[in-house]
Amino acid sequence: MNSLLAAGTSPEFALPSIEYRLISPILLVLGMAVISVLVEAFVPRAHRRVVQLVLTFSTLIVALILVVMLAGQRAVTAAGSLAVDGPALFMQGTLLVLALMAALLVAERGVDPAGDAFAARANALPGSIDEREFTKRGWLTTEVWCLFLFSVGGMMLFVTGTDLLILFVALEIMSLPLYLLAGIARRRRLLSQEAAMKYFLLGAFSSGFFLYGSALLYGFAGTVDLGGIADAITANAGQNGLLIAGTALIAVGLFFKVAAVPFHQWAPDVYQGSPTAITAFMASCVKVAAFGAMLRIMYVALGGVRWDWRPMFWVIAILTMFVGSIIALTQTDVKRMLAYSSVAHAGFLLIAVVATNEEGLAGAMFYLLAYGVATIGGFGVITLVRDSTGEATHLSSWAGLGKRSPWVAGAFAVFLLSFAGIPLTAGFIGKFAVFEAGVAGGAGWLVVAAVLASAIAVFFYGRVIVILLFSVPAADGPTVVVPSSFTAFAIAAGLSLTVVLGIIPQPFLDLAEKASIFVR
Amino acid sequence: MLPNPYLPIFALGLLAFLFACVSVTLATLVGPKRYNRAKLDAYECGIDPTPQPIGGGHFTIKYYLTAMLFIVFDIEIVFLYPWAVSFEALGLFAVIEVILFIVTVLCVYAFVWRRGGLEWD
Amino acid sequence: MSTTHYLVLSAILFSLGVLGVLVRRNAIIVFMCVEMMLNASNLAFVAFAQQNGNLNGQTIAFFVMVVAAAEVVVGLAIIMTIYRTRRSASVDEPNLLKY
Repeated sequence: MNSLLAAGTSPEFALPSIEYRLISPILLVLGMAVISVLVEAFVPRAHRRVVQLVLTFSTLIVALILVVMLAGQRAVTAAGSLAVDGPALFMQGTLLVLALMAALLVAERGVDPAGDAFAARANALPGSIDEREFTKRGWLTTEVWCLFLFSVGGMMLFVTGTDLLILFVALEIMSLPLYLLAGIARRRRLLSQEAAMKYFLLGAFSSGFFLYGSALLYGFAGTVDLGGIADAITANAGQNGLLIAGTALIAVGLFFKVAAVPFHQWAPDVYQGSPTAITAFMASCVKVAAFGAMLRIMYVALGGVRWDWRPMFWVIAILTMFVGSIIALTQTDVKRMLAYSSVAHAGFLLIAVVATNEEGLAGAMFYLLAYGVATIGGFGVITLVRDSTGEATHLSSWAGLGKRSPWVAGAFAVFLLSFAGIPLTAGFIGKFAVFEAGVAGGAGWLVVAAVLASAIAVFFYGRVIVILLFSVPAADGPTVVVPSSFTAFAIAAGLSLTVVLGIIPQPFLDLAEKASIFVR
Repeated sequence: MLPNPYLPIFALGLLAFLFACVSVTLATLVGPKRYNRAKLDAYECGIDPTPQPIGGGHFTIKYYLTAMLFIVFDIEIVFLYPWAVSFEALGLFAVIEVILFIVTVLCVYAFVWRRGGLEWD
Repeated sequence: MSTTHYLVLSAILFSLGVLGVLVRRNAIIVFMCVEMMLNASNLAFVAFAQQNGNLNGQTIAFFVMVVAAAEVVVGLAIIMTIYRTRRSASVDEPNLLKY
């Protein structure tokens, strides 16, 4: 057998060296996602939920442990297509923590009397006899968990890939399950399906841009490896049409994913229509993953032409911060308001990309963690405020919530303060770190604009807090449901992380700083 | 002088065209004409035709499900073909990779099968 | 034919796709235009592979085809669900999400 193989092996084919230990977290999550498909196939309906919950949570926890054990590694593996380095591991850890919290929200079934947040059968027509029958039998769409795990696996790959092909495939592994997850809300199915279609069409559109940009960069450099592209840029100094066009198209694809103005129109619709637990997941984790990839591409591959792409990023960053903050002021729906707030946050994070220095990378990683935990906590609170038709997301029905349920309203206020960047919350430290990096990276005026935008943002978050805590409660206002320990734990985790990161940020900042060098 | 090398191909094409025309014309002229119900039905490989929606027009949703499953399983072959033409050069590593790949696809197939995606009704 | 010809063709296809996504109103057509964008990229990848003399571009085209197929399946599933609920595949008609 051995001799046969030896004789058959052509010298041209070099066996790719893969260090399985380094990519074990990604392999574990994706492998378990496949197992979870088998669970759907063979485990009886009554036991599926329990099995899937155990599988998902244990997978995420073990993967997080594996990531922590890999800390300090710096290597490029899998034939030069995956870079396991500080930023990759830090962001994989962030993603897993956030995914665990989002999974807690997804697992909740105590707040909706009919079951969890997802349709009993995704293919039943809304309002049909079939649907009522499935709901009465208490069926659940447990496929949610397979899709969730696949999406997390794709995100982890997206922050690790150092090759445009891997990045494209990871982008799709991350996005395709999310399009489906967006469309299967139990309540307000039509809105949810509409959100799924908008998300899908615009998401596919943006990945088309990303891919064409990759093709042009491949034409320029003759390789899709990010390090190889950087070498090609050093070798051919001067302007090159393919390089500039490719950079712009890749940036547009990523701008769509992080919802930067003017590519943000899908975000409010999708955030509002999707099941709130899924909104929490995509608002936090997709942003982490997309910024992870954007930082890697812009720093590693295109750092050499930063003078060419920086002006574009300046304009986009300023537009994003201001449009996000100002339109958020006019919103009357809590979910849409948080969507525009997340648009504004994308603008602040773009400063870190413009900075193109180690401080920028470290600041962005800290910012993403702070933003992610507050986002999941905030959307977690939204799932609890309900009336007879489901979640009551209109801002007027939230008036005076603090008088009736001080704890829930207080938690939401803390998340809003963190979004606004008030001292003693995680958001403040994140913003500070990013602004500092921006100044160090020569983007002083951009930081001035960002401070102005922050002031507008503080105003609109403050307005919501005032409505929440100090106005007179509506007579037929919504009730605050007491959740099971799943949601309670997720909100508590978000709250404590927001406060801890705000009061003793130093260990986390040090960690981010130590992890802030890309390997290539 | 050599004749144009493409001449035989043109000749063959012309022959095929003429044969088709002549046989169709001959069949309509001299063939027996006995119609019955089965002959007027739509031809679906000898099976009874699948009922169409009243009023015609759209295909039923079942076709789309089948078509979607077909696309996704069909396109997986694209990875097997390059391996199949050069598996000797690629060695044991590639064999294991391909087996892993097929197992993954089989997992999804098992899901489709168990959850009734392959049943027509 | 030089690489430029292929690139011009691929750029035209890509632009047609983008234009179609922006102006067409039927979800299926919009979706077909997105697929056209992906295929334009494929053409560019293969043309560049020819120019650069390495096979990477052709390998990438394989991956893109498979990803596009997966995208087709997910997209058709979503569009069919919407169509069944509303009897319409217009991207304008589902407009409950306006403030």
